[in-house]
Amino acid sequence: METSIDEREVELITLMLQRAVSEMSAEACEQCGVCPSACPVARHMETFNPRRMIAKISLGQIEELLKSPEIWTCTSCLKCKERCPENISPYDVILVLRNLAVRAGYPYPEGYDDFVKNVLDSGMAQQPQAVRTRGRQRRDRESLGLPPAQRPRDMEAFSEILGGIVKAGRSA
Amino acid sequence: MKYALYLGCTVQAEQYAYEASVRQVLPRLGVELVEMEGASCCGFPAFSSISSLGWHYLSARNLAIAGSLGLDVLPLCNGCHLSFTETQHALEKDPHLRQFVDQKLAQEGLNYSEGVRPIHMIELLHDIIGADRIEEAVERPLEGLKLASHPGCHAIRPSEMQRPDDPEDPTKLDDLARALGATTMDYPEKTDCCGSLLSTASGRTTLSIAGEKLKAVRDHGFDGLFTTCPYCFKMFDGRQRAIGATIGDRSLEVPVFYYTQLLGLAMGVEPEKLGLELNMSPVDGIVKRITGGSN
Amino acid sequence: MVNSALVIGGGIAGIQAALDLADRGVEVHLVERSPSIGGVMAQLDKTFPTMDCSICILAPKMIECSRHPNITLHTLSEVKEVRGSAGDFRVKVVENPRYVDPVKCTGCGVCSEKCPTKVPSEFQMGLGTIKAISVPFPQAVPLVARIDTDHCLYFTKGVCKLCERFCPSGAVDYEQEPREVELNVASIIAATGYRLYDPTEIGQYGYKRYLNVLTALEFERLVCASGPTGGKLLRQSDGEHAHRIAFVQCVGSRGHRVGASYCSSACCMYATKEAVLIKEHEPESEVTIFYIDLKVFGQGFQDFVSRARDHWGVRYIRGKPGEIREDPRTKSLTLWYENTDTGEVAKTEVDLVVLCTAMLPHESSGELAEVLGIETDEYGFLRSKDPLTSPVETSRPGVYVAGCCHGPKDIPESVAEASGAAAKAAEVIGMSGTGGD
Repeated sequence: METSIDEREVELITLMLQRAVSEMSAEACEQCGVCPSACPVARHMETFNPRRMIAKISLGQIEELLKSPEIWTCTSCLKCKERCPENISPYDVILVLRNLAVRAGYPYPEGYDDFVKNVLDSGMAQQPQAVRTRGRQRRDRESLGLPPAQRPRDMEAFSEILGGIVKAGRSA
Repeated sequence: MKYALYLGCTVQAEQYAYEASVRQVLPRLGVELVEMEGASCCGFPAFSSISSLGWHYLSARNLAIAGSLGLDVLPLCNGCHLSFTETQHALEKDPHLRQFVDQKLAQEGLNYSEGVRPIHMIELLHDIIGADRIEEAVERPLEGLKLASHPGCHAIRPSEMQRPDDPEDPTKLDDLARALGATTMDYPEKTDCCGSLLSTASGRTTLSIAGEKLKAVRDHGFDGLFTTCPYCFKMFDGRQRAIGATIGDRSLEVPVFYYTQLLGLAMGVEPEKLGLELNMSPVDGIVKRITGGSN
Repeated sequence: MVNSALVIGGGIAGIQAALDLADRGVEVHLVERSPSIGGVMAQLDKTFPTMDCSICILAPKMIECSRHPNITLHTLSEVKEVRGSAGDFRVKVVENPRYVDPVKCTGCGVCSEKCPTKVPSEFQMGLGTIKAISVPFPQAVPLVARIDTDHCLYFTKGVCKLCERFCPSGAVDYEQEPREVELNVASIIAATGYRLYDPTEIGQYGYKRYLNVLTALEFERLVCASGPTGGKLLRQSDGEHAHRIAFVQCVGSRGHRVGASYCSSACCMYATKEAVLIKEHEPESEVTIFYIDLKVFGQGFQDFVSRARDHWGVRYIRGKPGEIREDPRTKSLTLWYENTDTGEVAKTEVDLVVLCTAMLPHESSGELAEVLGIETDEYGFLRSKDPLTSPVETSRPGVYVAGCCHGPKDIPESVAEASGAAAKAAEVIGMSGTGGD
């Protein structure tokens, strides 16, 4: 079903992103090094470093970040946000960069599209599966005595609303 | 104690052991669980990255459903709980967002209400029901079992979003383990991440991160690990083989449980009702120890 | 003409100001709220950049204060009320009881020997104990014992009284009451010092949870020969010697999350000093200072740091650790850090971590400012009139500030300010006051 783009939604998204960008406070960063040393990903991947990312932002190099795969490798553990002495949250900054990257049409990991599509189709990120027990037998919700899965009552209205929002977010 | 039960995608679609054990133990502790008809994904983690507006809409509609039942909501997943909390804050802070959300919810016949409290499983068990009450309900104490608690990132961070436990020294799950008669110990890696949310971007690093934790749990001499988050459980339990292979330690054999499974066992509930056949990690030994080998 | 001045605070700044004024013939009342003068400087092992023994420099000044004909010491005392104006202030001071007669007490220490109750020693930063009746530290001035009534068995339970029984001079007096004195002074100098930030709330550093994580002042007591371990760098967890030590700078400073947003001025230098102290005792020890910037402005300071690095081999890494973990068995600590110069994220294991914590306003600042009729600044320090043109004056003529009470600084700066304040304070002698408020 073709969802039309609501200009007001685009405007709201723009406003939200603008405010989020202005709240980044990248200039307050003293480059102390707490965030990369708390970060589980930075310990394993040299390419991911929240401190360097914030430095790039305060130097105005946002576009470069939007194009890089780096911003998609945060595991959302929130240690950086919890421990930054200046109350900067590289995690929240990363979320904004991701939203901006999607909007600008830059590449990002496939999994996100699958997730979004499933939610638009069924209300949930995945459909209930049959799973295997340790003894290699199959079980599903019914055989385990669990009630049927939930989904939005009016799927049409739900998909239209959510689809519209996602579309509005992709139009610059 | 009556709550709207919010399963979330992962539990509803595959982490049946958590749901099964929750449905067994909570009513026995006097908690009434009400189904949330019309529930959907909470939007975290995909929508928060792709479309913040979509994310907040999704969380808001679930809060609205709970609100229509006149109940607080009990999400089973750490991420969902944080998502609801963050969305509440966002809606409070931004009147334009709130207006938009109200408008859209109306199209689904829903109404956002501010008073719905997201209750975390740790909060419910430790602060509301209480370790004492749980201890009283124990029929088969988990004596001699040394267990490592894993609260998971979103249960303890960010502290500015009223998490159920302390970000640097979380002790509630430890109290809850002791209430079951098990012993536990603080360990340096307790507050570490399971790495799940990195899997979309980098499978290998995810497994390395999870591997460090499992290895530490084993090296500290724990008999097993337990958690209250389906993402974390899925990683440590479901992907333990792959984790072992990635960190070059194929002998990694750490039994992983949902706390509610252990609680059920301790309360005398039959193992098959707690979904224990679904755990991929080697839990049989511990289950037999607790049940006396009867199952 | 009121040829008299009041100095509030008996730390190095207060002592210096008192001596300067007394030497030029002014009668000085030196009021100190704790049982002895000396302040933080008395707790330090050595001072930078000369590496002089701190108490060796300070003690003669302390003794001079007690002997100087123009100085009257009021210890265990507090300023309660100030009326009048420059040239003629009337000040109410309350002298709290120490329950020991200072005239009769010889500081012999028998009372402490007999006393059955141990209390944590504030002087030793809680790392050692003294008795409930005790001289606070060996070089205390006045060298008079004092009873800690919160722990004394007689005051809490009405029993014991061994100190009274055994005191050879009959100096113990449980009936002592607070005494109010009224002083008439021409000028007032506030030199009340600072308080240290408590880093317990920075959970990822484990202070108070991990026995081998200490603050710098606690560390100072450990390396000091008069400290609880006789100057040996022994770990609190197992009494073993510490060979690998890490210093973490800016703990509670330079941040908007917790503590203070400003820089605490002296920590880069004192961390270097402490690092050199460790190296002097044991050259093979591994000492690392984790910093964000090295703020070493004073005369000779940069050379001091260069020497620490090049001659002594102290390692300087630009990167504030994100996390400190304790090994449950060994109680050793692992620090995760990023070397921000190279971008390398790494960890290192050490035996001991020293946190260099922020200098915050003294807990008495707010109250004292009210009593003195002066302002505090946005951080809670006493406010000086103007940092450039009148750094030691306040908004009230006749009232001056010196030392850390109006901002973090090191000892050389505190001493300089003390002399400056003393000179200013002397100027108003002879001014006719109006008598009233």
